[in-house]
Amino acid sequence: MNRLVVVRCPDLLDEDEGGEALRLFARVVEAVEAYCPWVTTVHPGLCSLPARGPARYFGGEDRLVQLVTEVGAAVTPVEVGVADGLFAAVLAAQGGVIVPAGGTADFLAPFPVSVLGQPDLAELLNRLGVRTLGEFAALPEAHVLGRFGSDGSAGHRVAGGRSGEIGDRHRPGGGRRAPGRATAATAAAGQSGFWGGVSDTDARAGRALAVVQDLLGPDGVMTAHLQGGRGPAQRARFVTWTGRGGHPDPSPGGPWPGQIPPPAPAVVHSALLRAELVAADGEPVAVSARGLLTGVPCRLSVEETPWATVTAWAGPWPSDERWWSRSRQRSARLQTVIGSAAHLLLVERGRWWVEATYG
Amino acid sequence: MFVAPPHRPGADTQAPEGPPPARRLDRPRDLAALARLAERTRPVSSSQARLLPVAPPLDALLPDGSLRRGTTLAVTGPGRGSDTERAADGSISVALALMAAASGTGSWCALVGLDGLGAVAAHELGIDLARLAVIPHPGVAWAEVTAAVIDGVDLVVLCPPFPPRPAMARRLVARARERRSVLVVVPGRAGWPDPPDLSLSIGEARWDGAGTGEGFLSRRRMTVTVTGRRSAARSRSHQLWLPSTTGAMADAHPAGWDRSEGSP
Repeated sequence: MNRLVVVRCPDLLDEDEGGEALRLFARVVEAVEAYCPWVTTVHPGLCSLPARGPARYFGGEDRLVQLVTEVGAAVTPVEVGVADGLFAAVLAAQGGVIVPAGGTADFLAPFPVSVLGQPDLAELLNRLGVRTLGEFAALPEAHVLGRFGSDGSAGHRVAGGRSGEIGDRHRPGGGRRAPGRATAATAAAGQSGFWGGVSDTDARAGRALAVVQDLLGPDGVMTAHLQGGRGPAQRARFVTWTGRGGHPDPSPGGPWPGQIPPPAPAVVHSALLRAELVAADGEPVAVSARGLLTGVPCRLSVEETPWATVTAWAGPWPSDERWWSRSRQRSARLQTVIGSAAHLLLVERGRWWVEATYG
Repeated sequence: MFVAPPHRPGADTQAPEGPPPARRLDRPRDLAALARLAERTRPVSSSQARLLPVAPPLDALLPDGSLRRGTTLAVTGPGRGSDTERAADGSISVALALMAAASGTGSWCALVGLDGLGAVAAHELGIDLARLAVIPHPGVAWAEVTAAVIDGVDLVVLCPPFPPRPAMARRLVARARERRSVLVVVPGRAGWPDPPDLSLSIGEARWDGAGTGEGFLSRRRMTVTVTGRRSAARSRSHQLWLPSTTGAMADAHPAGWDRSEGSP
């Protein structure tokens, strides 16, 4: 991470129509360039320069900050700060401090998570009781990636002082933009979820579900995502609800040999239920290596309950998964009807299970 | 949806170069089309309405043709014994089918206490999985969890994991009424001690498509009977395919059946 001096002109952050602010800012940049030629404009009203070389030349970071502040202040009020990485340096400038090398994480720790400039992440973290960057940084990285995705992970690295900036779009202080655009964005966000913003309905549901997560833990609330697969259990994935949502499911429409045609079962048992399937003579029914039933299914018992008569059945649908590997699983599925009920059975290594029920 | 103005033979000869005058003349028609479009795409404003939509043919069974906000419904099937029987008796499907239209028009829904939702089936019914919160294991705090969920979503399907005490049930019903949500209870073995506003019971059900090894389960014909209080005191029955061959719900009433007649 580069050690940076950031010069922030609070009055020039918003563009005005006449371009007056931009012209003033150009003069600030010009003045600062007298001390160091590598000035980078980050944003209107915000520029940075590498600290190390100029500090050595001018006799320390204190002296450099003093000089830069003097030339800048001749044009407009400026705030100057030094820290490792752009994100921390901008916050340092706002506070007018010089953060010692390696002290970024400690410096960032007391800031609220909203300074990351990711409003939805900040709201979620707040609801989960994580209010400061220090608390956020203390979460294990692997968990952050799993729960909050790559944006959350990028914010987490910054909060821990391991990365200089989140990305181009996010900047400390969040919505410091031209006033016109800012109002448009806020209006859209407050209005409807139809165009991708967060609607009132979504926000209300989010608050209620956060209460449930408080009661049951984060994993207490799930959402389902569809994906490709053979069995009904493989075709859906349940993930912890994070309130972010919005990512449409990829079309699970590809062909899957061995997939059973719709309709799909309404209940997919989270744990397979033991079942026994026998023919009229009481002999267990099995599926042969060629994928055929060895007998005519006659009676079914689920979890040691009394035998019920199988009135109709369909299949079997063999599915030879991972046939190339040692953990090869030769299995088959069979639909069975018992009176008005219907189950999807799975047979594996000669043993029957109820995988799903057509509820 | 853009509605193109119809071609007018006279208009071309009068103003061949200028903008088509039909634009202005058809404004009422465009406005009507826009109004229809707005009707279909307004999840936020519809959440303020008094009713939640229900997909046909189930709508024909309900007193308002939709779910009245603030009410409680119970869905019972013939399965009385184990959870496996409840899972198989069609009550889960009917509860999910009640959710489909509301979910499809942007309402948030929640499913509390059902361990093992068939997400593919829910999707086939028309439920928007992105707006469905699944709380499979509410545990002993199930009533508290349900109350919290009622605060935030339009429709809650509850499969109580334990037999609710009457006071508990009444509290949840009152909460739904106050928050203008719809509570759909699938009592199963746990039961539900409070009389619901509407009670949907599943009569005979029959699966089509499977024989002795050939074919596959293609659809289920079931009879659903609705009884209620006040205006809905007279019971109505309807035959539907749930699921139909696509997984959605469809009408299965015999030819010549008059819907408005109610029960035969």
